[in-house]
Amino acid sequence: MADAGYIGQPVRRPDAGDKVSGRTYYIHDLERPGMLHGKIKWSAHAHARVKHVDTSRARALPGVRAVVTAYDTPEIRIGFLRDNFALKRDKVRQFRDEVAAVAAIDPDIAARAVELIDVEYEPLPGVFSPEEAMAPGAPLVHERDAAGQALASNAVPVRYGHLTGDLAEGRRRSRFVAEGSYSTQLVQQACLGTAGCIAELDTSGNLTIWAKTQIPFLAQRDYLRALEALGLGGRNVRVIVPALGGAFGTGLDTHAYEYIAILLAHRAGRPVKMLFSREEEFAFLSPRQSARFRITQGCDERGLLVFRDMHVVQDNGAYTSWGATYPTVMMVPATSLYRVPHVRFAAELYYTNNTYCQAMRGYGGPEATWAIESNLDELARAAGLDPLEMRRLNANVSNETTPMGLRVTTCAMRECLDKAAARIGWTERRASATQGSAEPAAGGTWRRGVGMAALMHVGGSGRIYRSDGGGVILKLDDYGNVNVTTGGVEMGQGHHTALTQAVSDALGVRPERVHVNPTDTGTSPWDVGTHASRGAFIACNAAIRAAANVRQKLFALAAEVYPGEVKKNLEALKKKRPAEPVPEVDLAALARPERFELRDGILFVRDLPDAAHLRVELGRLLRAIHFRGVRGTVVVGEAFYEPPTDLPDWDKGLGNLSATYTTGAQAVELEVDEETGQVRILKLVAVHDVGRVLNPQTLAGQMYGALAQGVGYALYEEVHSEAGRITNPSFRDYKITTAGEMGFPIELELVETNDEAGPFGAKGAGEPGLIPTAAAIANAIYDAVGVRLRDLPLTAERIALAIARARRAEGEDSGNERT
Amino acid sequence: MQYHRPTTLAEALRLVAEPGARVLAGGTDLVLRMRDGRERPDALVSLGRVAELAGVTLGAGSVRLGARTTLAELVEHEELGRLFPALLEAARVFGSMLVRNLATVGGNLCNASPCSDLAPPLIALGARVELASREARRELPLGDFFVGPRETRLAPGELLTAVVLDRPGPRDRSAFLKHTRVTVDLALVNVAVALELDRGKVARVRAVAGAVGPTPLRLLGIEALVAGQALGPELLAEVGRRAGDEVKPISDVRASAEYRRMLTGVLCKRALATAAAAEVS
Repeated sequence: MADAGYIGQPVRRPDAGDKVSGRTYYIHDLERPGMLHGKIKWSAHAHARVKHVDTSRARALPGVRAVVTAYDTPEIRIGFLRDNFALKRDKVRQFRDEVAAVAAIDPDIAARAVELIDVEYEPLPGVFSPEEAMAPGAPLVHERDAAGQALASNAVPVRYGHLTGDLAEGRRRSRFVAEGSYSTQLVQQACLGTAGCIAELDTSGNLTIWAKTQIPFLAQRDYLRALEALGLGGRNVRVIVPALGGAFGTGLDTHAYEYIAILLAHRAGRPVKMLFSREEEFAFLSPRQSARFRITQGCDERGLLVFRDMHVVQDNGAYTSWGATYPTVMMVPATSLYRVPHVRFAAELYYTNNTYCQAMRGYGGPEATWAIESNLDELARAAGLDPLEMRRLNANVSNETTPMGLRVTTCAMRECLDKAAARIGWTERRASATQGSAEPAAGGTWRRGVGMAALMHVGGSGRIYRSDGGGVILKLDDYGNVNVTTGGVEMGQGHHTALTQAVSDALGVRPERVHVNPTDTGTSPWDVGTHASRGAFIACNAAIRAAANVRQKLFALAAEVYPGEVKKNLEALKKKRPAEPVPEVDLAALARPERFELRDGILFVRDLPDAAHLRVELGRLLRAIHFRGVRGTVVVGEAFYEPPTDLPDWDKGLGNLSATYTTGAQAVELEVDEETGQVRILKLVAVHDVGRVLNPQTLAGQMYGALAQGVGYALYEEVHSEAGRITNPSFRDYKITTAGEMGFPIELELVETNDEAGPFGAKGAGEPGLIPTAAAIANAIYDAVGVRLRDLPLTAERIALAIARARRAEGEDSGNERT
Repeated sequence: MQYHRPTTLAEALRLVAEPGARVLAGGTDLVLRMRDGRERPDALVSLGRVAELAGVTLGAGSVRLGARTTLAELVEHEELGRLFPALLEAARVFGSMLVRNLATVGGNLCNASPCSDLAPPLIALGARVELASREARRELPLGDFFVGPRETRLAPGELLTAVVLDRPGPRDRSAFLKHTRVTVDLALVNVAVALELDRGKVARVRAVAGAVGPTPLRLLGIEALVAGQALGPELLAEVGRRAGDEVKPISDVRASAEYRRMLTGVLCKRALATAAAAEVS
């Protein structure tokens, strides 16, 4: 590794200029010659038998080129459990089910054609919550599983659990216990760039698809199955990932609309584009799953945690996506956030006739942390302890193995807690500690409080598939440029920036000579997908290894051409300064691979870095290697990095799924208007153990974005539905944070633990920023107004009504005392 | 669809009288409804070039807001803001800056949304609307203009041409408050009050709440409660307790009826306190 020091620098994003000047082409901008526009006919019911689909009027509309239904196309099963279908036949199970689709020469004709499709339904009773779904005799969402076996209930056939120690013993040994039920809501990922794809088949039946995906290679496998269903087995699928306007987990599955585009393109013999409007995105794209936790924690008289018992029920919706594997990530904090000897975790998922759900940033982490960290504050209160002290006392430390078997190598949790507490002014500002300071000023109704929460999350990828690896190819050209090909996906997070810096340092070139190619399964090496904060961790680790391979090849070849190049240097020197003596050079001794170094695109002899005549520019060297007749060659290097982790046994909840773990603490100071419930955040502090900062600018961007999402998750965001129909499918009534809500100071502090597993010491940092935010805010609200809210989001309405209830109860109590 | 851009009021009135014609002012409501397919007009009559409908005119005894005055113009009009603090505050928190640059006074009132931010302060300030058709002109108190959600007393072929306000007297004050989920949002509840203070006591008052009924609602019980009284803490607390009983909110995706009643009390109390405390300019 050359380590010229680009790592850690605010190197500018390579895509910044094009993005701010509007020159980046997103899926919305892409067109193919002869391209048609697809549109989907969505179900009119949450649960119904499909009696008849009549597409004749749509077919007759001029401009329509193809109409497809499940009755005239082969069955394509999709999803994590293969319980979903590209097009639905016989039965619909949610409002957004795809009953038919059309492709037309423009989007307006396609939209009109969809309205001309007549579907006859026989409505069925539905189930719209896990409670309804698990009730005896509840209508079944699925009568059979993908293998054709009859299903007896609406329980999704997945098993996740964990048990370490003895819960009864834990309860016996606990002096204080806190128990509660906490819920999290459905939220939309609300990507700036809505979903879409273009599918195109060549005359041999090979598919090229421009897709909004975070998993190009798993998607390739899925689409190959679709081709097989179409009788096109053995053909090729090429997935090209265009510039993405955010993904946040929406690209972790393949979607019915993509298969429908393939079916339409196949039927019409022309490329077909599907594009969601914002309203369609809200109504027809899977949100983050909701969850309800039941959690009990106990501690001894000093405050040491003795046990944790945690049970979660999730509303899966009508079909199963990868989002159904949230409990795999929930298990990380459930078993391993703080040191707990006796711990149990169990998860149940139920099919309902609600919209089916999918992944979103944090993937179970924010949900489980909401429950644990809210409940921990309640336990601290029960034990009469300062919540900060409680957390410090139980904090995870370096070199420990947790009940789940996570090997926590480096861990700065206590440092993060202390720094967060210092920055928020914990001791001075905590209202419940400084009696009276929470009293509103004369006539005022705003009360102040502080709160905090910590996190534990995967920081070295997360193995949820047979391979958790990713590859990088470095191709050097005749001009000294390095073209980098990665299987990871740039979706706005700065993947290409981090990779550029890693290649610059690991190989020894300047960042402006590094060019990262768009991800394309036709050219990129395999990668499991960009999720679990793994993008930079995996790709930079692969880049370090690929760069080592390139350097080995390059230095071996350089040994052959170097003498000739130095001679040219010397001749040039002689010509330039004929009066000066030519330096003595022992070329045979210098031209040895082990003596070479490459830095900033210049090859030189390591122990003679200042000798100008011994320096050869990389492009010149590569040309010398290339253009030497029959011995000529070019330099390409690659590596595939597979992290040293286990695929856990999910049923038992055991296994070290990540190569390292990340932690952090957030603290917030806020005020609450007692009368309206409105929350005003005064300051938010985020202190995170990131291993090593690869790029302070990119990392700050990731963190600020995550914090804004975390604040939205805590206070504003919720997808509402009534009997399965989403009732706020637009930004008018789905509120995300904007500049107006984020107008408070954010203090970000990054703690560097230099983890051995990490590239240059770095850990994954894409998700942690939003994981503890909601709990920290709820804890601060409690500190301010003495009301504990256990259901997200903490809307002003919920806060105001809870305060009013609490005040009424207080009034009654004191009234009782008086009588 | 026909698109007309008349330059005179007479021409506009002729075009508006055509069957199937819809008036286009700022378009911030209509264009969205057209995009969703909820409105399919045969013709659009844009008011953008009708000079008679533009701008704010300060008269000796009254103030006239032309129908196509934008919300941004209200915000930027210094004298207007001094005369009618409730109107300025409502305009300031109306939609986003992009919306304020397009949305018009006439458009907002004729759209008759129950959660209009403009209607409550104008009703509280005693505004009248000028309505014109090819045949006649008439004036109506704005308080009588609204019939229900998206329903007004505007007759077919009739156009709202202006809003007229009396110049306030030296003892007149007003205030507007709005509660939203996030900074840029529709009102969950808004309340406007206008009052005349005579030696510390309320001589005359109008209190109007929005988004808590099919039209903006006068809080007549509150007006009666505070009339002739000094706005002390106990009276304000009573306002806070009682204002919610006077409104007829619904529960929807934005808020429950219970919360809206609660907010009506809080905002009404605070608006009265704000108005009473305001310095006379």
